[in-house]
Amino acid sequence: MTEYIRLNNIRKVFKKDDRETVAVDDVSFTIEKGELISILGPSGCGKTTVLRMIAGLVEPTDGEVIVDGVSVREPGPDRGMVFQDFALFPWRSVRKNVEFGLEISKMPKNERKERVDRYLEIVGLTDFADARVHELSGGMKQRVGIARAMVNAPKVILMDEPFGALDAQTRNIMQAGLVEMLGKTDQTIVFVTHSVDEAVFLSDRIVILTKRPGNIKEIVSIETPRPRDRSSAEFTALRKRIHTQLEKEDVMK
Amino acid sequence: MASENSKQFRYDGDNRIHRFLRTALISVVSISMLVMVWWVVSVAVGSPAIPAPPAVWEAFINLMNHGDRILGYTMMDHASISLRRFLFGFAIAFAVAVPLGLLIGYSKILDEFTKPVLELLRPIAPIAWAPILLFITNPTWAPILVVFVGIVFPLLTNTIFGVKKIDRNLIDAARTLGANKMQTFYKVMFPCTVPYIMSGIKIGLGIGWMCIIAAELYTQLDGGIGTFILMHTDMGNWANGFVGIIFISIMGLLTVGLAEYAHRAMVKRMGME
Repeated sequence: MTEYIRLNNIRKVFKKDDRETVAVDDVSFTIEKGELISILGPSGCGKTTVLRMIAGLVEPTDGEVIVDGVSVREPGPDRGMVFQDFALFPWRSVRKNVEFGLEISKMPKNERKERVDRYLEIVGLTDFADARVHELSGGMKQRVGIARAMVNAPKVILMDEPFGALDAQTRNIMQAGLVEMLGKTDQTIVFVTHSVDEAVFLSDRIVILTKRPGNIKEIVSIETPRPRDRSSAEFTALRKRIHTQLEKEDVMK
Repeated sequence: MASENSKQFRYDGDNRIHRFLRTALISVVSISMLVMVWWVVSVAVGSPAIPAPPAVWEAFINLMNHGDRILGYTMMDHASISLRRFLFGFAIAFAVAVPLGLLIGYSKILDEFTKPVLELLRPIAPIAWAPILLFITNPTWAPILVVFVGIVFPLLTNTIFGVKKIDRNLIDAARTLGANKMQTFYKVMFPCTVPYIMSGIKIGLGIGWMCIIAAELYTQLDGGIGTFILMHTDMGNWANGFVGIIFISIMGLLTVGLAEYAHRAMVKRMGME
């Protein structure tokens, strides 16, 4: 495994009405190719900001993000993003949503169709290709979001609490689906979540952030192969250990 | 007697035909009440300026058969002259307001710059420009431009508002999918504002329709429903004037109704209810 993405001393200060808020303070870590890395932390700790800096949607105040040897300056199709509220285009059908990136890159039509069909099949939405977004359930909407990001064959997919808006049962189904997909590809994923359970279930490594200003508290590696058994002693012990870590980061104090 | 009971008519809210009949019945009763009130007022006031419904009906039949013999147009001529001017004014307003609105919504500095001007111009009743417009143009263009002024502001305001209401996430999504500024603009921002543009059109058409009549009342030349009303009431043909008023009402209802329908259909088609 080799270093693929590197965050070098990332810092982000937001200015509003002459008040400065340090959202992220001196965060450095590397991500390997094919790895699923979670960023976990209390609410408002800047985990989404870190993700958006990798995406190029937010510019770091200091430091730099390097993806596959290139410094990030702006958003690009090599870093796909999946949003908590799905951010699908409501006037486009499922197929047209997935096709968006290929349309932008001016891929020939027949090639586009083939590719969209392949990814619709991967996320299990072949039968819903022509459905409108508002006809889908939350879980299906997010599968469209994932297919839309994957179809561009990005170097990394950035997921911003992608299952946060779903009910508990759907969330579990989506997590299992993601694990199954990971078994078939070597897609690199950065996954932001506030759910310890979700992070332990999915990740190769978990980056735990402190409360604001977000800094790295600990990076936990999980060797257990996926799919993981939530009821195993190992799983529960790790979950408990991380919970204890996070409790020290009580945002109310 | 259960069998007899079941034959009785029962209103069923889930039945299309029942709903339609109900709406139709209520409308007929409601409009009949308006006609009654009009009749009572006509008798009570006792002025020739408020003719009773039968006299207006007679005038209507007469005008439809023989046309407007004073100005030398048929009623359909008058209606189509007004309608054409109205649509032309709308088209110009649309061509100006939509691109300008998208730009103002998009650019903060342009928004700050145009805001004071728009706030100053907006409260002016469009018809106030009629004398000036008539002096520098002609009786055809002046009403068109008054309609333009009437429609351009609500349409512009709605378009700007629509751009500002765009979900930031959709723009971020487009950018992470590789869209550049221009592509983001016409593939995401423009479709996002369509429902707002459509509701601007709806409001604008209502105002524009009032403008066209007012402007024609002022210009007094080259036909149109407004001119028809002014000329006939000036000569004491009050019943004819009322026919003109009824024409305004029905044509306005049709235009705004059509816009309403188009708005709803478009929003639904775009999945943006």
